[in-house]
Amino acid sequence: MIVPLGHVFFLAGIVFAMGLVCLVAHRNLIMTLIGVEVMMNAAAIAFVGAALRWKLMEGQVFVLFILAVSAAEISLGLALVVSLYRRTGSIDPDRYDILKW
Amino acid sequence: MMTSWLQDPSLVAAILTTGLPFLSFLLIMAFTRNHRRLSGGIAVAAVTGSVAGALFLLARHWSTGHPIHYSSRWLIAGDLSIPFGFLLDPVSLLMLLLVAGISFLVQVYSFGYMAGDPGFPRYYAFQSLFAWAMMTLSISSSMLQLYVFWELVGLSSYLLIGFWYEKFSATQAGKKAFVMTRLGDAAFFIGLLLVLLYLGDVDIIEMNSPEAAAGMNSGLLTLASLLIFGGIIGKSAQFPLMTWLPDAMEGPTPVSALLHSATMVAAGVYLFARLFPFFSCSADAMTVFLAIGTVSMLLASTMAMVSRDIKRVWAYSTISQLGLMIMGLAAGSLFAGTFHLTTHAGFKALLFLCSGVWVHLFETNDVYEISRRGGRRLKVPMVCLIIAAAALSGLPPFSGFFSKEAVLGALAGLENPLWLAAGLLGVFLTAYYTFRLIFIILFPRKEVSQKEAHPAREDMSAPYWAMGFPLLILAGVTVVLGFLEIPLHEFLSGGTPAFTHRGLAWLPYVSIVLAVLGVAVAWFEFGRHASPQLGFVEKLPGLRELFAQRWYLDHVYRRFVDTVIDGLFSKGCAKNEDKVVNNSIDGFCDFIVSSGHLLSFLQSGKLRYNLIVMFAALALVAFYFLFA
Repeated sequence: MIVPLGHVFFLAGIVFAMGLVCLVAHRNLIMTLIGVEVMMNAAAIAFVGAALRWKLMEGQVFVLFILAVSAAEISLGLALVVSLYRRTGSIDPDRYDILKW
Repeated sequence: MMTSWLQDPSLVAAILTTGLPFLSFLLIMAFTRNHRRLSGGIAVAAVTGSVAGALFLLARHWSTGHPIHYSSRWLIAGDLSIPFGFLLDPVSLLMLLLVAGISFLVQVYSFGYMAGDPGFPRYYAFQSLFAWAMMTLSISSSMLQLYVFWELVGLSSYLLIGFWYEKFSATQAGKKAFVMTRLGDAAFFIGLLLVLLYLGDVDIIEMNSPEAAAGMNSGLLTLASLLIFGGIIGKSAQFPLMTWLPDAMEGPTPVSALLHSATMVAAGVYLFARLFPFFSCSADAMTVFLAIGTVSMLLASTMAMVSRDIKRVWAYSTISQLGLMIMGLAAGSLFAGTFHLTTHAGFKALLFLCSGVWVHLFETNDVYEISRRGGRRLKVPMVCLIIAAAALSGLPPFSGFFSKEAVLGALAGLENPLWLAAGLLGVFLTAYYTFRLIFIILFPRKEVSQKEAHPAREDMSAPYWAMGFPLLILAGVTVVLGFLEIPLHEFLSGGTPAFTHRGLAWLPYVSIVLAVLGVAVAWFEFGRHASPQLGFVEKLPGLRELFAQRWYLDHVYRRFVDTVIDGLFSKGCAKNEDKVVNNSIDGFCDFIVSSGHLLSFLQSGKLRYNLIVMFAALALVAFYFLFA
């Protein structure tokens, strides 16, 4: 064990924060999706680190699941974005306030 | 276990007698539906076996008066166990032979009549089903079993009346027969349940025993009798459910013959005879039965006076004769009703089968048309028809005379002379309308030549033996059966030889005079040379219309269905569906949508702010758990 667990979690936290910022700061739906992906990867880093620390395979298995879910999510998300763009001519999430009214 | 019942020849015979037609039905339906001759052969062979079995049973039990009862448990529901069994007593054995015999003759006849019909195997399958249902009905040991087969009889008559299902009127007639008899059957079933509730058993012997009457109070007994009689009204086409029977003429003529003589309509009267001791316990109910029988008899006779359709005339006469049987039974004479049922089965089957020859040959039901095309030239049917008509009119020495005498004798025993008067009026009317038909056919006004009458039908001579042979047998039975009155009476009353005419001495003469008078009037109007061939009723337009429209009974029913069922009930249901069900669902959905609108005020609709708030809240919660 060369890298201490705390460092791994710190890295994961930084990546998560970057993803969060990406998620809420951009006025572009594609960037929002990328932010979600980054946050999920942060969680994956934390899982791998924990698996290494306690010598358990479950953490790594979970990462594989996260990869599968994120792949599915991004394909669906992009499809929705395309559809929304065709419908409204924009990919600005702030303009999708139709549910409010 | 197996050997014990195999050793009783009566039981084996009973099982075979009733089981063979069912077996033939299954065989035809499953395997031989595409083989015409084979299917017909199987059915006839099966019913021949039934006739043999019925004859064997009758011969074996001719002298033993007491009923023989076989039963095994069929199913158990809670405290109630439903047996399946056979009850062999004189009435049921007589009925069994009657059904088997008529079914046999009709099936042989159908070989000629139905030849060339595409549904030939199906026809024989249904015939077998019919025979099975009716025979098992007649020797059922409990009322529930009887009810099951009662419904099967209804089903198979529905199938046979609507046999030519390509014809719209035939399907309508089948449906009408089924629905109208179901009306009565519903009452019958309620009555049965009532008996079951109070007696705990619907075994026929139990119901007929004196304890049954003691177990129910008299009002309840009358109610149960009337309800069960509802089933008889439906099946035997009595007033007010009589209108399905004339329409049932849409079926093939042999089916009409079967339906009118030994099965379907006879089932009603048979049920009356079966439960005769039970019904006798309620004097009020018996009076109602008597009234219904009388009304049906007179109404149907008047209808028959104006009909031009040969089969319909016989249909009306069936209603009227069934009314007479019910009168005889309700007057307290089991023998009179059963005897008339037996003789009537013979001559009514004969009437229909004779008419069937002409209907088949000329393809018309109209009597004037049959007459014009030389119906009288067919010697065998004509002679047989006259014999049967004489029996129907109650002319001696044919069977109908004796049985009618028995019924009238029973009526004469009643205190109120009105019933006897109605019966005698019925005798006159019957003779009149029967011979009206005979004279129309015998003395055509303008006849067409033989060639013109039935061209291209020369090839039909081959199947005639099949159609002629049952006619001759039935004619023989019609002539002979009347003289068997005394042995039959001994048999039915369980071996007591004391037989005396209960009627008055002058009664037979009066009824003969009335019957002859009816024939004479018919001769005057239809038979003699230069007669107008127009009945006295037909000269009065109002009366004629009333009779031809069957006393407007169908119109009343139509009006009732239109206004009450369609107008009130169906429309009410539609309105309920539209207003209550639909509107409540719509209202609920509207409520969900509007509450969604209300909740949407809590958020901005901006995705990013929502996310920021969500994460901020999550962070706060995380801090709380971390430090608190």
